[in-house]
Amino acid sequence: MTSKTEEKISYIALITPALLIYLAVIAFPIVFSILLSLTNYNGGKIFGNPNIKFVGFDSYIYMLTEPTRNFYMALKNNMLIVAVSVFGQIPLGFILAYILNQKVVKGSNFFQTMIYLPNVISPVIIGILFKSFYYGQNSVFMEIIRKFKPNAEFSILSQPMIPVLIVILWMYTGFYVIIFLANLQRIDSAIIEAARIDGANERQILARIVLPALSGVIVTCAILAISGSLKSFDLIYVMTGGGPASQTRVLSLYMYFMAFMGAPNYPLANAISTVMVIISFILIILTRRVEKIFGGKE
Amino acid sequence: MAARLENRNVSFVVKFCIYAVMLAFTALAVYPIFWLIIQSFKTTQEYLTTSKLAFPRNWFTGNYPYSWRMGKFGTLLMNSVFYSVTTVLAVVILSLMAGFAFAKLKFRITPLLHGLFIIGILITLQSIMIPLFLMVNAAKLYNTRLGVLIPYIGLGLPMGVYLCTEFVKSIPNELIESGRLDGAGYMRIFSGIVFPMCAPVAVTLGILTFTGTWNEFILINILTSSDAIKSIPVGVARFSGALASDYGKQFSALVIGLVPILIFYAIFRKQITRGVAAGAVKG
Repeated sequence: MTSKTEEKISYIALITPALLIYLAVIAFPIVFSILLSLTNYNGGKIFGNPNIKFVGFDSYIYMLTEPTRNFYMALKNNMLIVAVSVFGQIPLGFILAYILNQKVVKGSNFFQTMIYLPNVISPVIIGILFKSFYYGQNSVFMEIIRKFKPNAEFSILSQPMIPVLIVILWMYTGFYVIIFLANLQRIDSAIIEAARIDGANERQILARIVLPALSGVIVTCAILAISGSLKSFDLIYVMTGGGPASQTRVLSLYMYFMAFMGAPNYPLANAISTVMVIISFILIILTRRVEKIFGGKE
Repeated sequence: MAARLENRNVSFVVKFCIYAVMLAFTALAVYPIFWLIIQSFKTTQEYLTTSKLAFPRNWFTGNYPYSWRMGKFGTLLMNSVFYSVTTVLAVVILSLMAGFAFAKLKFRITPLLHGLFIIGILITLQSIMIPLFLMVNAAKLYNTRLGVLIPYIGLGLPMGVYLCTEFVKSIPNELIESGRLDGAGYMRIFSGIVFPMCAPVAVTLGILTFTGTWNEFILINILTSSDAIKSIPVGVARFSGALASDYGKQFSALVIGLVPILIFYAIFRKQITRGVAAGAVKG
């Protein structure tokens, strides 16, 4: 056996197991999902529809034009989650990381560990916890409110996403603290020291050295925030179930209800997931661009 | 660097404020969990009739045995351990194999195949859920452990292949070449030289995969129907439906679900935060 053949056989043997599973679990389902969205398949014979037909973009048109406008509601909620990340978690995470990186407080590891803690807990547990904490006439939340306003009554807010968004803010800020801290620690301290010796104050160092060095990371965080919003499911599923009146549904929840609740509407559900795949692909392209512009993050 | 910065004169007031801010955020992060654990020691009766912020008057432990049995947590715990450990082993080994091949064996198809895996990092599970459900059904794997494991392993591979390829790249080529000169084949070099050196990335990847699999909820929910093969998050979620108003049971069930991951976090907190930073820097 020549060395080149041996190399080829090894290559195939090493890659095939991972590749096969990957193709079956991720690559093929993406294609399958897009194809399904173009048919009228809704579960086959059991649901009285044995003939699978190719119907083009009907499901997409329905999704975009049906009178309840569920799609737009869900999309808007996804965008609200992104907004909380971009305007809440990312700045807050940066500030906390920046403070920790100053090394004026002892126990930086302790703070980091505690602030990150909500991230490792199952969103299902967190969702149920906050549901009991917040909703209802006699909830803990109302008990706290009544300390200030004794006659307060519980009512669902006109924007029911707000409690969900607060929990999301609470849960994932620690994630951004970790990312920013890791990247702040990579900035060459000699540069900062030199600037300080030259008389630069803290604000100038922040604006001229730290923030430019982190610009790539900030963009990456924003991209992660968008993909994170697409992934948000468990928390909202247990916390509100998408209600009241589907006002807290995100795209993934909308898709889930169309596919797995009542008679399945697979074409519509797959049209929704195709939209999610498209958003993911845009994100991948953006990530690549960002890496090029900022020359990697090493 | 730390020593030099600590010598800077930071006024007491500034220092105090910084500590106050950090402590406030730490308290905010931890308090709800602390609160939950405290309340789980109240009877539902006491929880509903007294202040919900107070400590229990009598520390009542009777919620725990009840919700343990009711939620079948013994079985669920075993299942969660089984799914998580098997997934971790499979993802780590398969990712290292592929990562080694991508990093050290030169073939023209590598950028294409590697890129295919990388794309998977940003693909969300929800967008492939329906095809997975239909495929698992078609393969007659619905409500089987294998039908859950294969998707779990597949979902761990994109991040795994990415991390492992990057790590193996950092292993010097000389090591592999000297193995070649000794007449070893690539499989021998992988198992004898590369694999033992990959402990750091294996730990990082293993931990990320473990927490992800442990907390996974939706996929196992749609791919299984019998309690015998479900996992802890599914059992916990049951306490939010029909049992929602029996707070003593619900809170103790939440704590039961919480404890394993808290122990895991206490042991591996350094590796977890390091792994998150390593995995997310590239997105």
